[in-house]
Amino acid sequence: MAPISHPRLTRRTLLRGSLGLAGAVAVGAAFPARAAVDLKGKTVVFASWGGAYQDAEKASYCDPFAQMTGARVVQDGPMNVAKFRAMIESGAPDWDVADITIDFLYAGIGDKLFEKIDKSIVDTSRLDPRFVNDYGIGCIVWSYNLGYSTKAYAGKGAPTTWADVFDLKRFPGKRTLADNVVSTLEVALLADGVTPEKLYPLDVERALRKLDTIKSETIFWSTNSQSQQLFVDGEVNLGLILNGRAYDAAKKGAPIAVSWEQNIQSVDYLVVPRGSRNRDAAMHLIDVMTLPENQAKLANIIAYAPTNPAAFKGIDPQIAPWLSTAPDNVKRGFLINAEFWRDNLKKLQERWAAWKLA
Amino acid sequence: MSSSDAITAEAREGPREDRAREAGAAVRAAGRLGRSLLLLAPALLLLLVAFLGPVGWLLSRAFTQPHLGLQNFVELWERQGYLQVLWNTVAISATATPICILLGFPVAHAMTYGSPRLRRWLIFVVLIPFWTSLLVRTFATVILLQRNGPLNDIFVGLGLAAAPLPLLYNLTGLLIGAVQVLLPFVVFPLHAAMLRIDPAYMQAALTLGAGPVRAFLRVYLPLTLPGVLTGATLVFISTLGYYVTPAMLGGPRQTMIAQTIQDQIAQFGNWGMAGALSLLLLAVSGLVLLLLHLTVGLKAVAR
Repeated sequence: MAPISHPRLTRRTLLRGSLGLAGAVAVGAAFPARAAVDLKGKTVVFASWGGAYQDAEKASYCDPFAQMTGARVVQDGPMNVAKFRAMIESGAPDWDVADITIDFLYAGIGDKLFEKIDKSIVDTSRLDPRFVNDYGIGCIVWSYNLGYSTKAYAGKGAPTTWADVFDLKRFPGKRTLADNVVSTLEVALLADGVTPEKLYPLDVERALRKLDTIKSETIFWSTNSQSQQLFVDGEVNLGLILNGRAYDAAKKGAPIAVSWEQNIQSVDYLVVPRGSRNRDAAMHLIDVMTLPENQAKLANIIAYAPTNPAAFKGIDPQIAPWLSTAPDNVKRGFLINAEFWRDNLKKLQERWAAWKLA
Repeated sequence: MSSSDAITAEAREGPREDRAREAGAAVRAAGRLGRSLLLLAPALLLLLVAFLGPVGWLLSRAFTQPHLGLQNFVELWERQGYLQVLWNTVAISATATPICILLGFPVAHAMTYGSPRLRRWLIFVVLIPFWTSLLVRTFATVILLQRNGPLNDIFVGLGLAAAPLPLLYNLTGLLIGAVQVLLPFVVFPLHAAMLRIDPAYMQAALTLGAGPVRAFLRVYLPLTLPGVLTGATLVFISTLGYYVTPAMLGGPRQTMIAQTIQDQIAQFGNWGMAGALSLLLLAVSGLVLLLLHLTVGLKAVAR
């Protein structure tokens, strides 16, 4: 029967259908088409870190998932460890999928905060096995980098090492570091001459003494969006920033470049909070994240490297040097020690809070 | 019936009408009270459910978490950081308050004695920021004060400063942000106090030989004191609980107690310490109100 008088065929559904088709055709060029599950009527709450990164995740994981399954995805956040724990304690978490860093993955497994990944739904064979965990699936590889203003410093005058961030003579003026004990202690010790191999366990007091030398000249950022803004406004000329956030700022016209010397690499994982009421739909969203076309899309937006090796062929070659996984960048960096942070995070966060006030 | 009974009965008899009237009045008064209570009930209920309940619950955690006892207060006392934050908070409030009074006094004065046109304008100018979202205003302050912001451009452009001044993420930025937010809280109580001052007092002082300065200091200023104290109390107590402004405009050394409470909950999930710090904040606010009551009396301020 011809659907001429079909009540549901409105201009909007027609438009949506044709957009989906266009998307499928465009993607089909590089990646095979997928069979979809029907999750109509389901709602999945997705929590992440806000700003440019969460926008990219929405476009690359959540929107394709909604399109493929008919489920609705609600964005929430920002991700916060204490909030996450409080939700689990209450027994009914508001979030179904959360983006967390590797240190919290390790800590949370011990405290039974996550649902076990359902490998009958999430096809982990697509991924580099280093990023597959029983309780979380790696989505991006990223790094803490030294960012600097190309307007303030050019060529040989540009800062290259963490020691430069602590050199007030050669690089006067305000600089920025994260208001987070993770990464800041590492950076201070590297600047003080400790090699990455000898970094862990961290000499906390030595790191804080080193930080004392630039404390009054440092602005500590609390969100990644703020770290970008500090560079965009010219409030600081150098300091610590995540590689993807630096890329996003540069893409939007800010005069910013990064050094890859001693970059500190980390991994973000998607997890399902224990007790999630939409466990199955959440697992399907994680499965959609592992698809190479979606990971490539995210990398093309914000320069965070994929965990599915097949995604690399879909990434714009111009972005390659910004990725933490570029061979040159891997060689110059090292992976953060998640075991150390799992065991010491809470204690050192308190030490950090006390240091800031002193 | 004995005679004494008869007497009592008669005694009862006499003022019966009066008693009836009194009783009627009492019933009517009780009815009025009941009706006003009924009208107050929604607000009281809201206060109970949305304010007293949660606050009491948070404060009680100071004594019950992680276990029953005073451990949170012991830690608060022994750990240097917390008392430092309390001191920061009181010192910042004590700095912001006189600045607000000094800036607000001339504004309130002009508002009281200026032309109606000027008064309208001043009320408008003072109230507009009051109606604007705190977050929006604070972001605007960030833009205004930043290193390459308009204020620094003007300073450097006019040759007043050789290099951009550090106006943000320090005490200067925090005070600028706090004072501009709190100014209405001193301007309006001062304006109200000044409206109540009979202009004849000043005229009398001047005709009796006091110079303008002396007349102002000895006659006018004391008469504005209730307004000054109301404004100062409002500013001081509001600043004690500041969160957004120090978080966005201050530096690590300007950390205030509300931020520390937030950190205890959001970073460490330590509700016990958050409750203890909240109790401390409440105690300081109470102390300020008590001092005010002892010096001038809350009634004079509430007038």
